[in-house]
Amino acid sequence: MALLEVNDLTVKFYTGEGVVTAVDGLDYRIERGEKFGIVGESGAGKSVTALSLLRLIENPGQIERGEIIFKGQNLLEMTDEEVRRVRGNEMAMIFQDAQSALNPVYTVGDQIAEAIRHHMDLPDSEVRERTIQLLDSVGIPEPETRYSDYPHQFSGGMQQRVIIAMALSCDPDLIIADEPTTALDVTIEAKILDLLENLAEEFDTAIQLITHDLGVIAEVCDRVMVMYAGKPVEKATVEELYYDPKHPYTVGLMSAIPRVGERSHRLQTIPGTMPDLVELPSGCSFHPRCPYAEEACTRTQPPLLDPETGEPLTGSGVERGAACLEYSGELVRGLDFQVTVDDVLGDEADAIGDVDVATTEGELDD
Amino acid sequence: MRRIYESDALHRDTDAPFSPNERDDDDVRPQAARSIPSAAITSAVLPGWVRHRSISVDVSVPATEFTAGSPVPFQVTMKNAMPFPVVIPTESAIQWTWNVDGHRDASHFPLHDPPAGDDAITFDRGERKRYRKRWDQMFRVSDDEWEQATVGEHTIGAGLNVVDSPGKGLYDEATFRVVPE
Ligand SMILES: Nc1ncnc2c1ncn2[C@@H]1O[C@H](COP(=O)(O)OP(=O)(O)O)[C@@H](O)[C@H]1O
Ligand code: SF4
Ligand SMILES: [Mg+2]
Repeated sequence: MALLEVNDLTVKFYTGEGVVTAVDGLDYRIERGEKFGIVGESGAGKSVTALSLLRLIENPGQIERGEIIFKGQNLLEMTDEEVRRVRGNEMAMIFQDAQSALNPVYTVGDQIAEAIRHHMDLPDSEVRERTIQLLDSVGIPEPETRYSDYPHQFSGGMQQRVIIAMALSCDPDLIIADEPTTALDVTIEAKILDLLENLAEEFDTAIQLITHDLGVIAEVCDRVMVMYAGKPVEKATVEELYYDPKHPYTVGLMSAIPRVGERSHRLQTIPGTMPDLVELPSGCSFHPRCPYAEEACTRTQPPLLDPETGEPLTGSGVERGAACLEYSGELVRGLDFQVTVDDVLGDEADAIGDVDVATTEGELDD
Repeated sequence: MRRIYESDALHRDTDAPFSPNERDDDDVRPQAARSIPSAAITSAVLPGWVRHRSISVDVSVPATEFTAGSPVPFQVTMKNAMPFPVVIPTESAIQWTWNVDGHRDASHFPLHDPPAGDDAITFDRGERKRYRKRWDQMFRVSDDEWEQATVGEHTIGAGLNVVDSPGKGLYDEATFRVVPE
């Protein structure tokens, strides 16, 4: 049994402007101890997906359909009390901004201690002991002294370490990390990602890592799902995705990976922007931005297809898939891109090397 | 684009782990705190027909002809003529709807399954709400198929999501022609 199985998850917001379909029919699964990445540009529905898993979406947001099976139980059928127990004990979340996660009026030690108490019945001295151990294991120097410091006395990187310590405090089976390093500079980012990865291995915790940066996925994850406009457009192992991307949007994201040590303007290389999710384009939602779009793309929305056989994927399985009409044979001209990766994606590599994407249609290259 | 971490659609609890903190900078006021209480009180004493007559709905398109395949922009304007707030109960969490040739959301089947609750659209005193939208001349015919509109006359309508919105004067339409390229 998978640790987490998400089936047909659909989340909408009922707003004055209309209905925002933020997440549309998402299927995926995460095995125990696995590091699963979700990548896509801002507005793709990644945070809403993450927050739905913890049942933190409220009016006017609505989980309209689907199942979230965590350790065999459907979270969407649990009582609030049961969900709260899962949230504190078995699933932890690292939020996009430290402000959401840390309470400015308590010391970091007290906050972690509180999370531990929420989870375990331990005498105070042991809770303190365990808190200090956790601060130490996430690399906070002089943890005994820092226990009594307030969040604002920590740098951004150190705050993020505190948040990781808090996430680990309950010894969760799954950590959902939503852009955990986006606010940090690149050198600190690399350290935090290493830390997260090592700790996950040590504590045998699965991670769902959410980011807009494929380079971050490469460092940490085993499998990836690429999201666009609320839908999955490609699913693959990290190796498959890097060496042989199948969806034009993935290719666009690849040409947006910054070179090592450089967080640059290259993040914006796909022309155009994510559509308004109140008013999605017809057919393949990516068609207004896709250099390979043809007439069929405006009329037919491709499901995730096995790129070899063209068969639609069913359910949350781990098969490879891409949502492009190329694989159902409906394109007249077809896709035409080539990806060369200069640096190998080795164990030693800190980040993916330079990726060059060549397209004869030309648009995706920068 | 709305941001989920800055919105009210997020469960917050400063005292529980792994729930986002309550926000202290109050630039995002809860929607309900703005005008609904006073509006609800005012409206409660108004008969339905007065409330309906207070609100006007207007749909407009910028031209009478569009070439086949080019998007049709349209604008929906709702206005409360009264110097007091007006609340109109709606059929669901969807406050207003639009259609092309009678097909809601230009789709041959319902796209949304909103929860039925205690829903309403609220207008402040004298408030005007304006929504700009585009119809791409496509009709959705199934979950994953669309068809291009035919050449000829088409009508875009919009109204509040109440029973018989045309009869209550809470609906309007605009007609135009799609001509060959
Ligand atoms: N409170 C809200 N009301 C309406 N729409 C929202 C709200 N919160 C988020 N959305 C919409 O949901 C979509 C997905 O947002 P999000 O999950 O935050 O994207 P990502 O994390 O991938 O950047 C966006 O189009 C966003 O505008
Ligand atoms: S279906 Fe068409 S528009 Fe969508 S990704 Fe494939 S080629 Fe591009
Ligand atoms: Mg986000």
